[in-house]
Amino acid sequence: MEIEVETTANPGPGKLWLDIDGFAGPVKPGNGPRRDPKGEFPTGPDVGTPLPNIVARHHNDSTVDLHRDRAGKPAVVVFFRSAVW
Amino acid sequence: MADFSAAHHITFPLLSDPDLVVIESFGILNTLIPPDDHPWYGIPFPGTYVIDDAGVITHKFFEHSLAVRVGPEQLIAAVRGNDFTLEPADTTPVEDVKVTIDIEGPDLPPGTQRDLVARFSVPHGQHLYDDPVPEGMVAASIELDDTPGLMAFETVKPDTRPLTLSGTGETLDVYDGDITLRQPITQNGTAGDQVDGQRVVTIRGEVRWQACDDMQCGLPQRQRFELLIPAGRITLPDMGPAAAKGHTEPMNGEKHLAQMVERRRKSEK
Repeated sequence: MEIEVETTANPGPGKLWLDIDGFAGPVKPGNGPRRDPKGEFPTGPDVGTPLPNIVARHHNDSTVDLHRDRAGKPAVVVFFRSAVW
Repeated sequence: MADFSAAHHITFPLLSDPDLVVIESFGILNTLIPPDDHPWYGIPFPGTYVIDDAGVITHKFFEHSLAVRVGPEQLIAAVRGNDFTLEPADTTPVEDVKVTIDIEGPDLPPGTQRDLVARFSVPHGQHLYDDPVPEGMVAASIELDDTPGLMAFETVKPDTRPLTLSGTGETLDVYDGDITLRQPITQNGTAGDQVDGQRVVTIRGEVRWQACDDMQCGLPQRQRFELLIPAGRITLPDMGPAAAKGHTEPMNGEKHLAQMVERRRKSEK
């Protein structure tokens, strides 16, 4: 899938830049962390298919094995960008 | 991660994926960022999956804008099979269609989605329509007035059944019984006005519908609404202007960011 970057940018208050939706930020849209997709972009496995397992480090340094540890219960899995910016 | 969890009193596990194993296995690495662009490389297109007890994906929430996220109330509704955190709907039988409109959630921070929830009580034997409908008929819908800074996403609708009209032979999609339409909304940080020292967003619009039974249709109806909700704030990193204004929980973000950049630089060698 060829993914395009959304570069629409408008000058905002102070030295801020507004993106296509009017969100303000210090970096001009299309640069740095403000590289949003325009049009289609990959969103991973589809609704109705099994979620691939996730084995990763917990913030308390233990290891989480999602499908084992949820023990037959439903779950919500959130992918986010960073805890510090 | 541990510092962030403590600073924000988070009760669920935060997982880290420093080698991108999970993000790449899901195919959601943001490839618009080149690998040498420190420290931004290595992030996913942000999104959320809901899985059932068998591990099958029942809902998926991804938006184009990095600033927009699914709201917790929407996730609860998804996990509970579209049940609400709102007061239970009034199930008293009605003579005419009755609509109640609420916003689910305490506030409307920039980028956090909340649902505008329209609950239709429909008299026994009548039904409402989903789009598309023939000219002159009106589907059940939520129409928002243009409001600067307010963003709206695709309406979440219940399942329909096909109904073939005896006169024309045309097949339409109809809703049986009481229904709920959920209209996800958020704002970009500029919506609302200062009211008594707090920023408040006014959401105006109308709900439209037309009820029919198997024999005949009533007139198209519309009901205006005006709902006020505090604008609220998002969680921000404790850096820059937000930290200077005291809008964030202190947690050493700048030090962690420096460490992250350094680690990525080293991993390239």
